[in-house]
Amino acid sequence: MTLLIKNGLVLPSEKPQDLRIKDGIIVELGNNLETTKTEKTIDASGMLITPGFIDMHTHLRDLGQQDKETIASGTKAAAAGGFTTVLTMANTEPVIDNVAILAFYKQKIRDQAVIEVLPAAAVTKGLQGKELSDMAGLADNGAIAFSDDGMPIQNLAVLRRALEYARLTGNIIISHAEDRDLSAGGIIHESAVATNLGLAGIPWAAETAAIAREIEIVRLTGSPYHFTHLSCAGSVRLVRQAKEDGLSITADVTPHHLNLSVDDIGNYRTCCKMNPPLRSAEDQEAIIEGIKDGTIDAIATDHAPHTDLEKEQTMATAPFGIIGLETAFALTYQKLVREAGLSHERFFRLLTSNPARILQLPEPKIKAGEKANLAIINPNFSWKYDSHQGVSRAHNSPFCGRSLHGKVMFTIFQGNIVFTAAERMSHA
Amino acid sequence: MPEHTFANASAPGRTLTDLEGPGLKQWQQRSHLLDTDDLTLEELNTLLEAARICSSLISKQEPPLSLLNYSTVANLFYENSTRTRSSFELAARRLGATVLNLDIASSSVAKGETIADTAKTLLAMGVNAIVQRHSASGSAAQVAEIIGNSLKIINAGDGWHAHPTQALLDYFTISQISPKIKGLKIAIIGDITHSRVARSNIRLLSKLGAVIDVAGPPTLLPSELSAMGVKVHDRLEPAIEGADFVMTLRLQLERQQDGLIPSLSEYRKLYRLDSTKMALAAPQAYVMHPGPINRDLEISHELANDQKRSLVSTQVANGVAVRMAILYLLLSGKGKN
Repeated sequence: MTLLIKNGLVLPSEKPQDLRIKDGIIVELGNNLETTKTEKTIDASGMLITPGFIDMHTHLRDLGQQDKETIASGTKAAAAGGFTTVLTMANTEPVIDNVAILAFYKQKIRDQAVIEVLPAAAVTKGLQGKELSDMAGLADNGAIAFSDDGMPIQNLAVLRRALEYARLTGNIIISHAEDRDLSAGGIIHESAVATNLGLAGIPWAAETAAIAREIEIVRLTGSPYHFTHLSCAGSVRLVRQAKEDGLSITADVTPHHLNLSVDDIGNYRTCCKMNPPLRSAEDQEAIIEGIKDGTIDAIATDHAPHTDLEKEQTMATAPFGIIGLETAFALTYQKLVREAGLSHERFFRLLTSNPARILQLPEPKIKAGEKANLAIINPNFSWKYDSHQGVSRAHNSPFCGRSLHGKVMFTIFQGNIVFTAAERMSHA
Repeated sequence: MPEHTFANASAPGRTLTDLEGPGLKQWQQRSHLLDTDDLTLEELNTLLEAARICSSLISKQEPPLSLLNYSTVANLFYENSTRTRSSFELAARRLGATVLNLDIASSSVAKGETIADTAKTLLAMGVNAIVQRHSASGSAAQVAEIIGNSLKIINAGDGWHAHPTQALLDYFTISQISPKIKGLKIAIIGDITHSRVARSNIRLLSKLGAVIDVAGPPTLLPSELSAMGVKVHDRLEPAIEGADFVMTLRLQLERQQDGLIPSLSEYRKLYRLDSTKMALAAPQAYVMHPGPINRDLEISHELANDQKRSLVSTQVANGVAVRMAILYLLLSGKGKN
């Protein structure tokens, strides 16, 4: 099968080009490529063409929590957001902490996924923070990274062993840094908002104290380490210093921490409850500064689907987490390119080549001979997001009803069109 | 209660049905009572007027009225409470309403029904008002949002967030002594972090112009509390200096087990209100407490018994009057249905 994409802007080129794809591979890139009669054509006039996005922090819930999301629904949602690769976290039911479960999970991926799903495996058995999982075996069988996301390792001796043992695999360990004693019982950011609403707070120090400790273990072991979803100014400062010290540390932030603050919680909106929590406006600014100065390497969604019923509980009992795959591009493009003045080149690296580098994947490029994993974007398309009209099985988004500017119009994975915006919109 | 000379007692012979004006209208159009922050001055004035009438009815031991004969009030208490629930029940009965007390432990809530479904079930049964207490902050607002205008939700306490009827009865009690709230110095002492009473009082009394100082163990003061418009102190003494009213809060004894305070004896030493400490307050200062009191922990036994200073019994009596007033104002406008 061949596909011709016409008149799209392939960055960093400033002039529209045509792109021909055959059998999943980009075969030709140039001007005025001839159309053959049998070929499917996409008119990409006025649109940007980038490598498909890579989300290094997704929860697809499939194993065991298919009411929230499945690999089918979650990967379609990812495709709708321009993602062609997602790294999924291991906190499924059961936890992906051994080779048999991983093999079963990979079979489900083969059966259902419309884009590439790369599994992260648990660092410790059952995410218990005690015994290491069979990391080498898991890596040999396709685990791309390790993380105890959601149940962060509290014991530094265990973390030290994990970082040392990970050398056998060459894979990155991803840290959701949180001191669980400091955050215990907390629901939202410790702040005037929490005080007024009568909700227990999660102080920023729950994150910064954990990051500071973990940085010292990275300094001790020398192994590469990645901090996911930084939420506060102090975390950016610590990571910046660690990088200046020459440590092999990287970091990502979520679209929601860039776009929202604790003030957006309003009257107990459970769709604004996530961990780490929405912080202050000053924290938001510090994160944007961290992106601008290169402290932060990537944007990751922490797409965390939950059912309506779960999120209709009280603020205290509703689970943490929001969905984010379908809105990630528009929200971050608005914030970082339009408002903060980041260049296209630097912006798209946050969603493509930087996460690829951290995960040690081949650098995504648009040129002849490369895999045709692409997002075709209309950066000026205005639309209103409604999670109930969305692709994910879950609806728990604080951005429901928000007007967004910029939309992924087509997503191409291995030469196949896996998402077309027009189709969704016709019955929206 | 008769120990105090109260200002502006209601005109003799006034009844609830004599009430009129914009405040009454606003109450009757109000969907719910979730907290004190959205009450207008007209509503507050009408409430005081209605509470005075109710208070006089109670003290004269008048027979129950039949004003809410056609209303059913459900007391839905997910958290144990003897006082507030009894107070609401007496208030509703004195107005002639049918009262439904829900035994939560044996209801379907224990079987996993959501709070919204329980409210909907009561609505379907024809209940006109739900008096709800729940341990989760925001639970009253959440149920109100789902229920809409079809019945009245009266928040009888949601987590640490709000307890509007307690604040309103405190306001009524204070206003009987000092009709003008503006400029009054009010101190609130104790565990502020976990106190819905403190929050609702702060919102109401600071809006009315009171100067509020709070004090408590630093571990029981929530972060950025001053953003609520109060002055925050770690020690009791500066907070009660020159105070006209000192409200002390209940200390849950498990706070000590949770490591939030070192010991009850240290708490007693630092934060217990007694006659010696009260000497720092204004010459005729009053002591208040939402109850139940841990005697000699929050207030000394002797001060709690000092009828010239302690308003605790008055607060309890006024609780019934204010809740009668609230139920009447919220439910009287709906007509007979």
